Amino acid sequence: MSLSFRISLSLIAGIFFGFIVVVLSCLLTATSFAEFTGEIRSPEIISAILLSLETSIAVVLLALLFGIPAAYILATKRFKGKNILDTLVDIPIVLPPLVCGLAILIAFGGEGIFSRFDVLFTVKGIIIAQLFVASPFLIRSAKTAFESIDRDVMDAARTLGASEFYTLTKVSLPLARNGIASGVVMTWARALGEFGATAMVAGCIPYRTETMTVGIYMHAMSGDISASVALSLILMSFAFTTLIVFKYLGTIRDGNLGPRGAAAQ
Amino acid sequence: MIQLDGICKSFGENEVLRSLDLSAKKGEMLVLLGSSGCGKTTTLSVIAGLTKEDKGDIYLEGSRINDTPPHKRGIGFVFQNYALFPHLNVYENVEFGLKAGNKRSTRGGNKTEVKRALELVGLDGFEKRNPMKLSGGEQQRVALARALATEPECILMDEPLSNLDAVVRERLRHEIAQLQRDIGLTSIYVTHDQVEAMALGDRIAVLNNGRIEEAGTPEKIFYKPEKEFVARFIGRKNIFAGRSATLDEDNGVLQISTGNFDLTTVFVPSSVGTRVKACVRPEEIILAKSDRNTIAKSARNEIAGRIVNISQNGPLMRVLVDVGGAEMSADITRLAARDLGLKGGDRVLLTFKATSVHVIL
Repeated sequence: MSLSFRISLSLIAGIFFGFIVVVLSCLLTATSFAEFTGEIRSPEIISAILLSLETSIAVVLLALLFGIPAAYILATKRFKGKNILDTLVDIPIVLPPLVCGLAILIAFGGEGIFSRFDVLFTVKGIIIAQLFVASPFLIRSAKTAFESIDRDVMDAARTLGASEFYTLTKVSLPLARNGIASGVVMTWARALGEFGATAMVAGCIPYRTETMTVGIYMHAMSGDISASVALSLILMSFAFTTLIVFKYLGTIRDGNLGPRGAAAQ
Repeated sequence: MIQLDGICKSFGENEVLRSLDLSAKKGEMLVLLGSSGCGKTTTLSVIAGLTKEDKGDIYLEGSRINDTPPHKRGIGFVFQNYALFPHLNVYENVEFGLKAGNKRSTRGGNKTEVKRALELVGLDGFEKRNPMKLSGGEQQRVALARALATEPECILMDEPLSNLDAVVRERLRHEIAQLQRDIGLTSIYVTHDQVEAMALGDRIAVLNNGRIEEAGTPEKIFYKPEKEFVARFIGRKNIFAGRSATLDEDNGVLQISTGNFDLTTVFVPSSVGTRVKACVRPEEIILAKSDRNTIAKSARNEIAGRIVNISQNGPLMRVLVDVGGAEMSADITRLAARDLGLKGGDRVLLTFKATSVHVIL
């Protein structure tokens, strides 16, 4: 690689990295420590943080409940229409969240098929919107993890007297744990950051349906930048933690794990 | 005792098992021998219940087990790639089947059972080890102990030694044979390796194209196969098509249609003109240099020919001789080849006993 090429390459990359760092730092410089601590003591901000944590954790639990069986079936069973289901899982990932939100709004709205469930403009609505958008990340990740388990290992369990359920709980799940864990992290992060579908389904009602992202939007639009910044900084710290956890999990490959404590040997 | 009646299995368009019949007697080591893709692994998988057959019946100790799920069949399985649980240590691997099958109370632990199983395979003291860090041979021993710990009715082994290096393979093969005999465990052992089949099998069943071609003792399969496929599969080189010519009380003479020579055999066909195949084992042929071009007929076979090629065949030399249009292989020692000063084009005389000619109808 010639020197001039290397310099121009570094320069272009440098511009990109610099841009990200500068933009993100603007969030930090937009507030002072005193302002920040003041904002996060406000009842509305605290309510938004709690609501976001509450809904995103509920989403993770529900995604585990529905997503693990879905991922297991997609990874291990052969059946007609499997490809269609597999593609279906990906749709919420590529679809704009606003479109997902609109679909939920119509499905649960006045004339909708689920209209008797009273979820619009409620916390339940937030959870449904976030689940719709975020759960595919868990299913994807868990499916890949299940697929990476040697088929013979599961067959061995069966011939040793383990039922399919016992095999799932004692062999497949432990061997897929890292894939599932990184799916959980991704789903949680996605649910926490969800805005479009949430706002569409649950609106922006302070103290009731105001999640952190909805709060950032509302406060920014109403000129209360310091509240937006405070919420954003908290979300950013969550995001960085997520990223670090995710990267760490990525370094341990599933199906390759040693027994407990063996990694230290 | 395991019995398969008319098992058929297809994967899509691919017919893997075509009405396969097979039985392994109680306490017997049955070796399923066949080339890759002939349906050996599918057969084991069907017996274990891991693959659902399309047609046919499976019996274990007399009862039909087609609809019994794999975890209730009581059939142990040893895989080619060991298939150990990577998240469990050696002890937990061996204990897995005991816990899963709820055979023993887990409160008191399964210490004695696990210890006994590990002792059987010579891995006492390996309990705390990570199986993924053991050698291939040790891993397969763990897999064996794991299968034996559940005290299965029978055990299926799918090329268990083929991933191991030659020295370990031979030692473990010997140990498996010993262990199987000691326990008297009904076993079906799949391999493509003839040496392994010969060394291990009480009986050998040769599988071809989803069907059992021939089953019998190693002696029968290797020395007196009834089917031409089996003769070719076990590496018989000299197989000639012909028909029976003259007969007397003890010997028959076969006219070989592919070559211009006759073979004398102890086989006496029921009538003249019966179409047969004759095999001559290359290692039973004696070579001598000769300028004669006549064919002697006697209880001994003496055939003149010309050397086409000499090549290395393991520790022996394989001499390919043109005999009246057909080719016959003879195996001789290196020393013999050197003493005779054999080279391509030399005229030679091939001599072998009438009893060395095996006839396939």
